[in-house]
Amino acid sequence: MSRLTHGLAWALLAFVPSLGVTFSSTTAADDSPFWEKLQEKGFQIHGFASLTGVKTSANRFYGNSPDGSWDDIEVGLNVSYRFNPRVFVAGQVISRQAGDMYDGTPSLDYGLIDLSLVKTADQDLGVRLGRLKNPLGLYNETRDVPFTRPSIFLPQVVYFDKARNLLLSTDGLMLHGEQATAHGTYALVLGGGQAVTDENLEWVFLGGDGPGKLGPHGLSLIGSLWYATPDERLRLGLSGVDSTFSYEAGGPEDSYTSGQTHTTYLILSAQYNTELWTFSSEYARLPMQYRDYGPYLPYSDLDGEGYYFQAAYRFRPDLEGLLRYEEGFTDRGGRDGQALSDQTGGYVPPFDFYAHAWTAGLTWTPNAHVMLRAQYSRTNGTYTLSVRENDPADLIKDWDLFALQIAVRF
Amino acid sequence: MAFFARTLPYAADQGTKGWRDLGPCRLFRLGVFGLFLALWSEPAQLQELIVHRDIPQPRLTQNEARLYFTLRLQNWPTGQRVKVFVLADDHELHRAFAKQVLGLFPYQLRSIWDRQVFSGTGQAPITVADEAEMLRVVATTPGAIGYLRSPPADPRVRSLEVQ
Repeated sequence: MSRLTHGLAWALLAFVPSLGVTFSSTTAADDSPFWEKLQEKGFQIHGFASLTGVKTSANRFYGNSPDGSWDDIEVGLNVSYRFNPRVFVAGQVISRQAGDMYDGTPSLDYGLIDLSLVKTADQDLGVRLGRLKNPLGLYNETRDVPFTRPSIFLPQVVYFDKARNLLLSTDGLMLHGEQATAHGTYALVLGGGQAVTDENLEWVFLGGDGPGKLGPHGLSLIGSLWYATPDERLRLGLSGVDSTFSYEAGGPEDSYTSGQTHTTYLILSAQYNTELWTFSSEYARLPMQYRDYGPYLPYSDLDGEGYYFQAAYRFRPDLEGLLRYEEGFTDRGGRDGQALSDQTGGYVPPFDFYAHAWTAGLTWTPNAHVMLRAQYSRTNGTYTLSVRENDPADLIKDWDLFALQIAVRF
Repeated sequence: MAFFARTLPYAADQGTKGWRDLGPCRLFRLGVFGLFLALWSEPAQLQELIVHRDIPQPRLTQNEARLYFTLRLQNWPTGQRVKVFVLADDHELHRAFAKQVLGLFPYQLRSIWDRQVFSGTGQAPITVADEAEMLRVVATTPGAIGYLRSPPADPRVRSLEVQ
C-alpha cells in the first residue's frame, strides 16, 4: 500500500503545479464544456497531496526521523454534489503514510448526505448522516489537509497525531444549525454515533498492541457551539466529544483483562484575524477513566490538559510566518509526571507525561495550487510522541524537530 | 483610506479641467498631490457586484453578499441556484472586492471555502482566469454572481448595489 501512496503522491506533486498554470483558465473556458457543465450542475472534485521530510535530534516522529525521513505522505480526493437546495452529498478518501502509525491504506475520511430543513439568509438548519468529521476545535474537521493547517504539524498537545481517532470522526448523525444576528453568527452542532477507531488508539491507551482488540463502545456524543462576528474577525468556540472504548482481552496470554476507557474531550477555542495577523489559542481538557483492565495497567483516572498560543503574520499575501508555544500534560494533577512514572515502576520516565514546545514556521504559497513549508520545534518532554514509534527506555527529554513540506491541491 | 477614496474623483477632475489656469508652482504641487494619490489609490478602485440579468432583485445586504460568496446560501429568493464566480486569490480586483464589498480579507474567504470543501460541509466557488472571462460566464450562466472593476455595458448582466 505504501507504494501506491508514494506513486499517487508523486504523480500529483508532479502534475498539479503544471496544472496550476492552466487550471484556472480551463475551469470555465469554452474548450471544456463538459467540466463547465458539471460544475454548473453543482458537482465538484477537489484533492490534495503532500510530502513531508522530518529530522529530529532524537526520538522518532513520523518514522525514523533521527536519521531524517520522508515517511509522511498524504493523498486525498473528494467529490461533492448538490442535487437540489435540500440535498447535498460529499465524500473524501484519504491515504496516509505516517511513520509506523499509518501504512498508506486508503480509508473513507467522510461520506455523508446533508439534508437541509431550513435555509434563509438568517437561519440554517439541517441534518448530516454518514461518516462525519467531528467539528472539534479550530482544525479537527480538516486536520489532514495541509492547506488548512497553520503549520506542518498541528499543535500536538491538542491535536495528537499519535491518537487522531480520539477526535477524528463519527459514524452517525449530526444536527447543524446557524443563526445570523446583527452582532454575529451562532452555529451549533449536536450529534451522536459510533466513534471511528484504529490501532493507534490501543497503543496510546494500553501502551502496546496486545492480543486483544480495542473498539468503540456505545454511543459517542458530539457537540460544538461557535460564535463569529459578522466580519469573522473574532471566532469563539466550545466543542467536545464524549466516547467510551472497550478492550476485549485476547485470552490467557493477554496481560490485561477486558476493560473500558471513557474519555471526554473538551476544547475552548479563540481566534482573532486582522489583515496581517491571525492569533489563535485553544485550551483542551481530556479526562480519562480506565476500568477493569486488571492489575497490570498502572493507571485508573487521568485528567489530561493541553493548550497553546499561536501568532501568524503575513509578510506578503503569499508568505506567512508563525510562532507558537504549547504545553500538555497526561494528568494535570501531577504535571511533573513523577507520580505516573512511579506507577510504572520507573519504566516510563517522568518527562513522557508532559511536553512544553516552541515552534517557528514559514509558509510560502507561490500559487493557489502549491505550498511550501518549513517548521522548527524545540520540545521539552515526550508526551506528544507515539509509543508505537518509541520505546520508553530510549526516549530523550529535550529534542529538536525540523520539517519541510511540499503540498499541492486542486 | 476612505478619505482619499472620496477625494480622488474630485482631485482628478480639478487636475484635468483647470490645469491651464494654474501657475507652474501650483501645477507642481498638484502633481505631487496627484503622485501621492496615485500611490494611495489602490483602495479607491471601483468594484461592481454583477449578476446574470435574470436575477430580479435590485440590491443585497453585505450579509447576503457574504453568504452567497462563501456559498453558505445556495439559492436566490426566487429559488434559482446561485453560481458563484471569483478571480484568483492574488488578483488585485479579488482582493479589493473581498475587502471593500464583502468586508472580509481574501485569506478568510479561502479558509472558509477550504473548511467546507475538505470537511464535506460545503463547496467552493469557480475561479475564472480574468475579467473578460468573468463577464462572459456571468452573462451566459443563469443565476450567476460575480464582480467587475466597473459597471458593465453588457445588457446580459446587471449591477447589484451592496448596502
